[in-house]
Amino acid sequence: MIRLSEAPHGRQLRIADIQGGEGVRRRLFALGFHKGDLVEVNSQGILRGPLLIKNLAADTSVALGRGIAHRIMVDVIPDEG
Amino acid sequence: MKADTPTVIFLGQPNSGKSTLFNAIAGHKALTSNFPGTSYKHTHSEVNIEGRLLNVVDLPGTYSLSPSEPAEKVILSHLFQEKPDLIVNVVDASILGRSLELTLELLELGFPMIVALNMIDLAEKKGIQIDPNTLEKRLGVKVVPTVASHGRGLKELLEAAFFCLGHPCLTISPRWSGDVEEEVGRLADRLPPEIIIAGNPRFTAIKLIEADKTFCVEVLAEAAPELKSELDLAKKRIEDKRLALAYEVFSAERHHLALKLSEESSRVQRGKQLSWDERVDDIIMHPILGYAILVLIFLAFFFLIFKIGGPLEMALLGPLARLRALLSGWLGTGLLFHLADGLLQGIGGGAAIVLPYFVPLLFFMAFLEDLGYLARAGFLLDTFMHRIGLHGKSVSPFILGFGCNVPAVLSTRILESPRDRAITSLLIPFIPCSARTTIILALVAFYLGPAWALGFYFFNILLVAMIGRLLALFYKDPSPGLILEIPSLKAPSLLTMVRKTYLELKSFVKFAWPLLVGGSVVLSLLQFLALDKVLNTAFSPLVVHGLGLPKPLGITLVFGFLRKELSLIMMLQALGVEYKNLLTVISREQILVFTVFVSFFIPCLSTFAILWKESGKKIAFLSVGLSIAVAIAVSLLVRLLF
Repeated sequence: MIRLSEAPHGRQLRIADIQGGEGVRRRLFALGFHKGDLVEVNSQGILRGPLLIKNLAADTSVALGRGIAHRIMVDVIPDEG
Repeated sequence: MKADTPTVIFLGQPNSGKSTLFNAIAGHKALTSNFPGTSYKHTHSEVNIEGRLLNVVDLPGTYSLSPSEPAEKVILSHLFQEKPDLIVNVVDASILGRSLELTLELLELGFPMIVALNMIDLAEKKGIQIDPNTLEKRLGVKVVPTVASHGRGLKELLEAAFFCLGHPCLTISPRWSGDVEEEVGRLADRLPPEIIIAGNPRFTAIKLIEADKTFCVEVLAEAAPELKSELDLAKKRIEDKRLALAYEVFSAERHHLALKLSEESSRVQRGKQLSWDERVDDIIMHPILGYAILVLIFLAFFFLIFKIGGPLEMALLGPLARLRALLSGWLGTGLLFHLADGLLQGIGGGAAIVLPYFVPLLFFMAFLEDLGYLARAGFLLDTFMHRIGLHGKSVSPFILGFGCNVPAVLSTRILESPRDRAITSLLIPFIPCSARTTIILALVAFYLGPAWALGFYFFNILLVAMIGRLLALFYKDPSPGLILEIPSLKAPSLLTMVRKTYLELKSFVKFAWPLLVGGSVVLSLLQFLALDKVLNTAFSPLVVHGLGLPKPLGITLVFGFLRKELSLIMMLQALGVEYKNLLTVISREQILVFTVFVSFFIPCLSTFAILWKESGKKIAFLSVGLSIAVAIAVSLLVRLLF
């Protein structure tokens, strides 16, 4: 299990845990990010900028600040073949 | 509003095309955008459709209906106030799984509802075939595929709406997993009638379990203490079983049910190849290329605004001056002339100095917003905003501020945290609006050279950053950080852009312009009553000794806040020289000090008023204090340095 902020780009990741305050967690849930979802890191801003996260099931993208990505734990799904 | 006019509420997630659909039905009144959460104002329209009068309401886009989020609570309470006869839930078909989460939450409410399966063309382009009939059966409400931007499906949607207004179209609340269902059912059965919201015990029970810090729970604790402990127990049982907090359990239930419904009703035939917008996105969101493009876009943005605004301003200022000369010929120099002159300068100043720059800015902003680029700019600039204690969502209010500070302050409503809103509102007055840009161009660029003007801008932005950092120190709780949906890129529609420009403009004309005219008249009267001399003497310690400027400029500086863009004309009037002879009475250094002071000193009466209205007295006066302090400090510094 690693932090989303440290996850490799372009790999399938499964959300293992979403930590943080209630406000932030609620907003993430509302945007359709839940434990067990498959996501992918698509891009990032320079100078430790935000991460562009794609939810693979819902096909939506959000920009997450580092602080928030730091509190989302993910498992890297091994590549098939 | 007549009692027999049925109320139809449009509700959907941000970017679902809800406002576009509403526009297509209700006319030219709603604001649409591709930046999450901009239609902050709700729109009421009474429309006549095929001979039937409807009261249609467009509520702001929302991702969910949690009573513990302030913005979402407003929507909930609005829903109960309006007691809609029908809800039209607008769903983005291209991201059906996520969009249905709100649909499920709306079904819990129990109001009659139909679903507009919007942007079905976009879904098809993505290779998703949705079967509306299957979805209809699963949801238990009528589903109509639409493409709001092309008017497709509107007729069918209206037919469905009219059918539901005439016949009972009851909704069935979605069922959750057995364990959750059991707890909800048990609590719902035992709720005393006075607690039940909108006659719906099931909905009340769900919200009670889901949101613990709400008014309802307090009422429950007071009205039926034994039920409150029952509620706590129910919550605890759910939380112990699922090893998650109750709100998370409900949210996850909706999430998984929504995804399941979406899978059951659609067939995906997506190949491996990337669609055009994904490829474009890879470039514009690229960590290096993306910034190069961002800089280019904004350079082009401001270049175009000046290219359009400059000549327009010149073209409008000439006739204005002629009209003024004509007026003085007719009316002499008496009170009547001063009154008329104040009015003319106020109306003309707004039309000739602010509008030429502001209208193109609003239009290009609407373009970037509808395209979806503004959200992307927020992503790219988040890093820099973080340095000043904010995050990417503040980017769009700041850009708006370059046109006029008033709508910029208004747009801070898109920020969720009160802290971010306060800091952004306090920083906006330091953004050089079009009125101040005119002064910077006329004085600094003309008398010291374009490089100085550019340097002035650069310094101005640096100053905003420094003040931001400083302000962030006073707000203990850190910014919650950026959570911003990046909507898919969409081709903007000209009509929507024009409508949005018009709406923003309307708020400027209605709010800022009258204050501008009023200020201008007051100033004219002051001159007529020769009170300017008295005031000049009163302010001379600061103006003459502090800033090293000629004494007659006192009134210009101090009353600049009544009419900022008039500062230049007032300066010439006060000094009694023509624009081209300015250097005969004042040095280049003095011009710089003057411009610095005018730029950072209280932006204008309208900005002050909007700050008061939007953020309260405290922030408004804090802003005034801050701007006076900064203006004095920086102009003293400039005087010492040059």
